[in-house]
Amino acid sequence: MEVQSYRAEELFDWVTQGGHDFTLLDVRNNEEFGRFKVEGPHLSKMINIPYIEFIEEEEASVDRFQVPKEESIRIVCAKEGSAKYVGEILLNNGWKDVKILEQGIKSWGNMLTPKLVASQNGYALYQFIRPGKASCSYGLIYEDEMVVFDPSRNAQFYQDFANEHGARIIKTFETHLQADYISGSKLIHYDTGAQIVGHQNDFKDAVFEYKSVNDQEIFQFSKGGPEIKAIHTPGHTPGSTSYLIDNKFLVTGDTVFVLSIGRPDLGGKAEEWSKLLFKTLKTKIADMNDDLLILPGHYLDWAEANPEKVFVDTMGSIKTKNADIYGIAEENDFVRFIKDNMRKQPDVYGEIRKVNAGILEVDDEEQEIMDLGKNECAASMYGK
Amino acid sequence: MSDDINAVKILDLKGLACPMPVVKVSKGIKEIEVGQVLQAVTSDPGALTDFPAWANTTGNEIIKTETEGKETSFFIKRMV
Repeated sequence: MEVQSYRAEELFDWVTQGGHDFTLLDVRNNEEFGRFKVEGPHLSKMINIPYIEFIEEEEASVDRFQVPKEESIRIVCAKEGSAKYVGEILLNNGWKDVKILEQGIKSWGNMLTPKLVASQNGYALYQFIRPGKASCSYGLIYEDEMVVFDPSRNAQFYQDFANEHGARIIKTFETHLQADYISGSKLIHYDTGAQIVGHQNDFKDAVFEYKSVNDQEIFQFSKGGPEIKAIHTPGHTPGSTSYLIDNKFLVTGDTVFVLSIGRPDLGGKAEEWSKLLFKTLKTKIADMNDDLLILPGHYLDWAEANPEKVFVDTMGSIKTKNADIYGIAEENDFVRFIKDNMRKQPDVYGEIRKVNAGILEVDDEEQEIMDLGKNECAASMYGK
Repeated sequence: MSDDINAVKILDLKGLACPMPVVKVSKGIKEIEVGQVLQAVTSDPGALTDFPAWANTTGNEIIKTETEGKETSFFIKRMV
C-alpha cells in the first residue's frame, strides 16, 4: 500500500484548532527532535521513535509503538524518505490511517500562516505566524502597496500574499539585525526592489543598501494611509527599533513579548546591552499607552495567543503579566535578573547575523539548515 | 591522518537521502568483522546527526569523520 501524505498547513489546522484526534510520530533522531519539534495548543499525543530503530529492530520498534491500530498516525521526518519507510512498516503491521508530512519537517519549519489582526481605516494588518520558529512577521496593506516587518526567508510567500491582495511590496522594516533566523528582506529587495529599512546601529556593516531609520521618523504609503512611526528601543540589540502603526499597534520585534522580553545578551555584551534595555523599558516603553496593542516578534508558548490564535496583547496587560520584569526598579537588579537567566545561544546565531548583514554568503541548502529550529530570544521563561 | 585507519570496506552513499544511508550502513557493518572499520561516504546533511545516533543505538563506534566540501566520510568501527 502506498503511504499517503499531508501538508504542513493541514498539520497547523489540526494542532491549533483541535477536534482532530491523532498521534504524531516523529522519526528523526533524538537530537534533532530535542532541538526542534512540532508544537501546537491542541497537539496532545506526540512520540519520538527514531527511524534508525525501525531499521535496526523492526519488530521490537513496532512492539514499542503502543498505539491502537485504529488511531490515525501522522509521521514527521527530516525530508520525507524516513517517514515513508516507517509508514510502510506500520501499514504492513495493521495500522490503517498512516500519513507522512509532505517534504518533511522543513516544510513545517518554513511555513507561514497569515492571521488578520485588523482591517480598519482602509488598511489591513496581518500577522504571519511561523510556528516552526515561534516567530511572527507582519504585513500592512494600504491600497495597492504592502510593507512587511521582519520577513523570514520564505520571500516568495510575502510576494504571493501581496499579489493575492492586489498589492506590491514597497518596503521591508527590520526591527533589528536578526540572529535567530535568516531575514527575507534581501531576497524581497532583489526580487521587487523594495527598500530595506533598519537602524544603523545594527546594520552599519551590512553590504547591501538600506534606509537608515531615525528615532521618531514617520513613514507613509504613496497614497497616505496609516502612519508608521519608528521608535528606537535599544537593548535586545543597539539598533532595535519598534514601529508604531496608526498610533494603535506596536511591532516590537524582540523588545517586548507577550511573556518575557527579548534577551540583551546575544551580542556578547550582556551588561552594556542590559543597561540599554533597562533604560528603554523605563522611558519609552513605560510611556506607552496601556491600550496600545503589542505585536511581538516571538512567542514562547501558544498560551500567549489570544482566543483567535493571534499573538497580540495590550501594553497594560503585558506589564501586569510580566510584573516581575517591569517592576524591577534598579538598573543593578535588572542586570542581575538578565544574568541569572542567561544561557548559551545556539552556535549558529553568529553566522545567521553575518548572513543577514550580507557579509556571509551561503547556499540555499545550508541556509535551510541554519534557519530551522525554535528561537532562543527571550530573556526568561526557559526550561518550562 | 586517515592513512592510519585501514577501512576494509568503503560504501559510496553520495546522492542518497535518508533513510538509505543508514539502511546501507546498517547492512554494511554486518558484512565486516568486529574490530574492522567501514568507511561510509555521504552527501546527505541528515547523516551528520543520524550516523552518530545510529552508532549510539547500535553500539558501534565512529572513530573519525572527514569533511570535504559537501561530502563527509565516516570511519565506523564494528564493535558488536
